This record gives sequence, C-alpha cells and structure tokens, in this order.
Amino acid sequence: MHIAEGFLPPAHAIAWGVASAPFVVHGVRSLTREVRENPESTLLLGASGAFTFVLSALKIPSVTGSCSHPTGTGLGAILFRPPIMAVLGTITLLFQALLLAHGGLTTLGANVFSLAVVGPWAGYAVYRLLRRYEVPLMVAVFSGAFVADLSTYCVTSVQLALAFPDPGSGFLGALGKFGSIFAVTQIPLAVSEGLLTVLVMRLLVQSSKGDLTRLGVFLADKRPGTRAETEAVAR
Amino acid sequence: MLPIDAAAHSSRWRRRHPVDKAVLGLGLTVLAISLPPWPGAVLVLVAALGVLLGPAGVSPRDLWQAYRVPLGFCVTGAVTLLVQVGGPGGIVTLADGGPVRAGELLLRTSAASLGVLLFAFTTPMSDLLPRLVKAGVPAPVVDVALVTYRMSFLLLDSVRRIREAQAARLGHTTRAAAWRSLAGLGSTAFVRAFDRAARLQSGLAGRGYDGTLRVLVPEARVSVRFVAVSVMLLTALTTLTLALERPLS
Repeated sequence: MHIAEGFLPPAHAIAWGVASAPFVVHGVRSLTREVRENPESTLLLGASGAFTFVLSALKIPSVTGSCSHPTGTGLGAILFRPPIMAVLGTITLLFQALLLAHGGLTTLGANVFSLAVVGPWAGYAVYRLLRRYEVPLMVAVFSGAFVADLSTYCVTSVQLALAFPDPGSGFLGALGKFGSIFAVTQIPLAVSEGLLTVLVMRLLVQSSKGDLTRLGVFLADKRPGTRAETEAVAR
Repeated sequence: MLPIDAAAHSSRWRRRHPVDKAVLGLGLTVLAISLPPWPGAVLVLVAALGVLLGPAGVSPRDLWQAYRVPLGFCVTGAVTLLVQVGGPGGIVTLADGGPVRAGELLLRTSAASLGVLLFAFTTPMSDLLPRLVKAGVPAPVVDVALVTYRMSFLLLDSVRRIREAQAARLGHTTRAAAWRSLAGLGSTAFVRAFDRAARLQSGLAGRGYDGTLRVLVPEARVSVRFVAVSVMLLTALTTLTLALERPLS
C-alpha cells in the first residue's frame, strides 16, 4: 500500500510532493485554527492521530486467506473529516517511514497523496452523498470505507504506472499491469476494510455516542419530543 | 516502544544534533535516487552499510529486522518490471531489458532505504519532533505529532494486551470470532485513545495548560566537523560514481 523508499524517480517524488502540498497546507490551517480556538483539542487530535496509527497496524483477515493492514482512511475521514486527515495521515506516514520502515521520506509526497488526500476525500464524498439521500448509516460507512480503500490503490497504481511505463504498451499497459496485480488482493481487502469499519462503527455508536457527537458524526438534537441524538452528517 | 526507536534511544549518536545525522543519512538517500544505479547506488549502499554497522554501531540483527521490510517491498515491486503487456509475443511476455531495469530499481531502493534507516536508527523521534518548529512547521502541528507519538506506544501496548485477552478467551478460533474480536479491538482503541486524551487534558488543566506542550529537549549543537566529513563523503561518492560510470557501463 505504501510506495517504498527510493522507488520513484526524483522528478516524480517532487511532483507528488507538490501535488499533496495544497491539501496538507489546507489541513494544517484547519488544525491550527482549531487548536487556537480550543487549546484542549491538541490532545484530542493527538489521540486521533494515535488511533489512526494503531488502526493501520491492525491485521485484518483477507478473503484470499492472507492477512493485511487496513488503511484506516475511510474511518478516519468519517470521524475526523478529510482536511484533518490530510495532516494526521501525513504524521502517520512519517512515523511509519521512520519507526516501521514502511513507505519512505522521498516517497512521502506520493503516499500522502494516495493515502491521506485521495482516499479520505473519495471515501468522505461517498459517505456524505449517501447520507444526504438518507441511506442507512452503516451502508454509508461501508461504502465510504470501501471507496476510500480502493481509490487509494487506484491512485497508487497510477503513480507506479507513470513512473514505470510498460516498454510495450506504455502508461496504459503499466496501469493495467499494476492495477490487475493490486486488484487480486485489494478488492477483497477493500471489502474486508468496509466490513471492519462497519463493525467498529456499530460498537462506537453503542459505546461512544458522546465522542461521535463531539466529532460531528452525530448531531445533538435539541427539539423536544425527538430522539436525544439524530444521525446526521454534520458538516 | 518500537524496535527502531528503542535502538535510536541507545544509539552511540543519540547526543548528536539531528541536523548532523540528517545531512549524512538523508544525503545518502538523495544520492541513491539521483545517481546512476550502477555504480552509484552500489557505492551508496556499501557506504551506508559501513556507517551503520561501523561508527553508528547499529547491531546487524536489529538492522536486518528493520531492513527486510522495505527489502520485501523492493523485490515485489521490481518483479513487475520483468514483464511487459502486449506486443507480438503475447498478452504478457518477458520485457526486453526487464532484468536490468528491475536490478537498477532494486539497487536504488535498497540503497535509499539504508540512508533513511541510518537516520532512523540514530535519531529518536522525541529529539526530532520538538526541533521541527525551528524548521518552520507550525507549533500546533508539532504538538499534535508529539501527542500522537507518545500516545501511540500506550495504545499499541493496550492493543497487544487486549489481543492476548481475546486469544485467551478463544476469540480467534473461528473466522466469525476473529472478526468480532478485531472490531472490538478497533473500537476499544478508539475509546481508550479518547479516554486518555480526556484524562491528560484534566491533568494538564490542573497544571495551567495554555495550549502549548513544553518538553525538555536534550542539548545538542550542530557539529561543523561531522557535517563537513559527511559532505566530503557524499562528494566522494558522487565523484567516484561519475568517474566509474563510463568504464563500468
């Protein structure tokens, strides 16, 4: 899921860094504003970052029989929103590169673009869209996590195909090559991550409604005679 | 604590300024991806390995444990360059020059990974993060990263204990049980993370928390001599690569 250190030529590494920069800067501004207005949110955001890091370290059983790691981008985007996820994802990827030797520093820009920008935004867009049409929460959560996971791998395939075009059929051949290799493992993995995210969200709805309300996954409903909280896409 | 960070805390170069180690480690990584893989990446690989096992004093066992992870990715990625799609030979055939391209990629990635490992094995995250403010990273982002770093270890420890408890209660015996256990693990991690944040907030509020986390950073100065020797090594590697490139090609 992560492009390894030194895998991309220098021009590609720089270009993906430049492509990721506006999203990360936007996220940093949102985070800085949030922390200045509510200083206590530093700890909450740090806890969110730690949760994202730990989530990406969990092993999930894949349909193919092997084990793999969830990206956590779908759940992260639904809980913390994509701009914040761009920053938390960047911090997580930096930690993974330096503490676990997963990914790399020269490929950080490319990995941020796929895992911390496109994945969260695509997953969150699907989640919001489905919630707008009043699709049940868990269906929207599954779809968001599935799309976030799959879009991450699609972007990674594009990044690799651009860096290593096929000698015979160029970019499209390479895209087919990397895409088909990823599809064997990643489509089942995306389904697995979607199911895991639904199960986690179901437990969170039961045990942590207060935190979910604070994060905006639920809106506190103050109208008399209605349920104390209504599911909503708050922002 | 994770093995690389634990090794960094007891490294011989622990007291050196992160800039010293960044110039050397990240300089080697930049050379690995910029110079021609043959002989550039080979020279960088040998130099990085020599520094890691020599002056930096990293144990070969720790290095192998960490290095095999990116090496696995490098090998898997390089294999895809051996084949091509389409052409007169069939849908998927062996690519002309595929082994050379795969070999070059393998050399480049393995050398670049060693450069980053040199930095990671000698620089604890707790020394690096607070200094990022001076490098222009906004203080709130560094504070969030610091909390993330410190809380990650507590959460990873909690996750390990919960997994052991689940295994002891036969929580991993069937596929359905494994999924239930995994979901419980993920949600418990979330609940514990937020619970710890709330308790930390209460504790800090009692000590006059104003939104800035002040941590003690070990005193260290950038060593001009170390940086100069590093730059000389990097220059020598570049010169040697350019000199040997034509005769060895």
